[in-house]
Amino acid sequence: MSSPTNSNTLPPMDLSRWRSVPTLLMLIGGALAAFGAFHDYRQFSYSWLLAFMFFLSLGLGGLILVILHHLFDAAWSVATRRICENLACLLPVMAFMFIPIALNVLFAHHDNIIYAWVQKLRDGEMDHALASKQPLFTIKGFFIVSIICFVVWWVLSNRLRYWSLKQDQTGSVECTRMMRRYAAVGVFLFALTLTFGAIMWMKSLEHEWFSTMYGVYYFAGSVWITIYTVYTLTLILKRQGPLREVATEKTFYYIGSLMFAFTVFYAYITFFQYFIIWNANVPEETFWFIQREAGNWFYVSLVIIFGHFFLPFLMLLRIDVKHKAWIMVALGVWAWLMHFVDMSFNIMPVLHTKGYHLDWMDLACAAFIGGVLSKVFLKNFNAHAPFPQQDPRIAEAMDVYVPADEYVQAATAKGLKPKSGGSH
Amino acid sequence: MAATPNIYGILAEFETPADAMHAAEKVRDTGFRKWDVFTPYPVHGMDKAMGLKNSKVGWFSFIGGVTGYTSGMVMIWWMNAVDYPIPIGGKPMFSPFGAFPPCYELTILLGAFGALFGMLFMNRLPRLHHPLLKHRRFALATHDRYFIVIETTDPKYSENETRKLLESVGSKRIELVEE
Repeated sequence: MSSPTNSNTLPPMDLSRWRSVPTLLMLIGGALAAFGAFHDYRQFSYSWLLAFMFFLSLGLGGLILVILHHLFDAAWSVATRRICENLACLLPVMAFMFIPIALNVLFAHHDNIIYAWVQKLRDGEMDHALASKQPLFTIKGFFIVSIICFVVWWVLSNRLRYWSLKQDQTGSVECTRMMRRYAAVGVFLFALTLTFGAIMWMKSLEHEWFSTMYGVYYFAGSVWITIYTVYTLTLILKRQGPLREVATEKTFYYIGSLMFAFTVFYAYITFFQYFIIWNANVPEETFWFIQREAGNWFYVSLVIIFGHFFLPFLMLLRIDVKHKAWIMVALGVWAWLMHFVDMSFNIMPVLHTKGYHLDWMDLACAAFIGGVLSKVFLKNFNAHAPFPQQDPRIAEAMDVYVPADEYVQAATAKGLKPKSGGSH
Repeated sequence: MAATPNIYGILAEFETPADAMHAAEKVRDTGFRKWDVFTPYPVHGMDKAMGLKNSKVGWFSFIGGVTGYTSGMVMIWWMNAVDYPIPIGGKPMFSPFGAFPPCYELTILLGAFGALFGMLFMNRLPRLHHPLLKHRRFALATHDRYFIVIETTDPKYSENETRKLLESVGSKRIELVEE
């Protein structure tokens, strides 16, 4: 048996020729996006929002995976924790990526404005939906929510990584405790900010619409794509060396199981959002879906049902597939495509009411943001150890049995006093 | 002299899970088919040491689930759209969305039935008695001992050879189990 998920003998791949890809993406995508902004500002704004929401998913997914690791005192995710921390640290970068959207809300006019309700507010045309969503749906409300979101994400990702890096150095119990404290408070703040972010930036494109499941819907899709991405990253890093000892066959099995779980969870949330609205049959809610049946949007929704759910669901049913590297990597690429389609399905019907149309600016904006984020990710990854060096469960994660008294001896040798009631 | 009773198999006792695991690897490599390992708790890696393939029970639940889903859909379509249509609020007589929740429940129900009955079927359960249960020391399999049992019906079984093999892998106590 030497599948890439359990073999330590496969030689590292030569990835040197990919090294310039992030820079190229950033430069070419940036140039094209900048050109697009002057060429067709309206299309550019929506394309940018699409790319923004797409990549925001990865940061948020990374953050919640770190939080969950600490909350559940998990052993299986030790190997992937640093990867997720680095993904979460992309969130502050996303604050900069928010600038074009902020500028649009502040300065754009009429047709160029992304959010129709902003124009309505300016014109003083308060409709019923807008009136009942005061004071949230005001320019001030929009920016207060946005700033709170980014501050919370910055603090959480930054603190969780600070203590994690400190744990690498000292290995003290205090680090574990601090990370758990941030995780315990953070999980609530995360749920609130993600929900508000999804509502303000994506759902408010059609401010008349309401769906109580929208936050969790974005959450499900976000964690879904993140966990697929984490599998691929872990696999590459195992093959290249950094995670060779710590990412075991079991690690991949567990990540694969979580991929399966979130495939089902996403389908569950998506279906019930539709089902509840379909069943109630109230025009204030159904219009959102009717819009998404116009033209070829109908087929896009079928692509989401079969491509976002059925294909990965049926593929991941079998245990052994979770170790078949090529299937899993192919699924990871497919997941990126599907999340992109899913985000387009949420955002683009506002702009392209007659049917789906892939604009070159969609790709340019995604290339630019993706390129910048890849560079930041790689820089952060290279700056620190590839996995938490002194996680209390590192031995367990590596499948090594360390008798308790050896722990005590090692701690005493380091001059640490093992306290009673330690980290676990 | 009473007739010699039939022998069910040979029982080897081990004191640690590691011993039992290494012994299982040897027994697997020798090519035995009708044998099993008994431990007081699940031992990680034992499946591999025994050369066990992935369980087939999954197929029973999969087929159960598919049956539940399709039969639910067909049933609701037949009842609401064909046999006794009742127009409600101008909605279509049949829609897969409205029918989904009960079909989903049926998927889970029949999937669970598939798993339960598939497991019983694959394990040839229920049965009233098993020769091992009569054996005095075998009760320790629920306490602190680890056992390997090789059945006499295995084509590779021979009393002397098999006993030697089990001795060579470190079992201190090897006994025959009567039918």
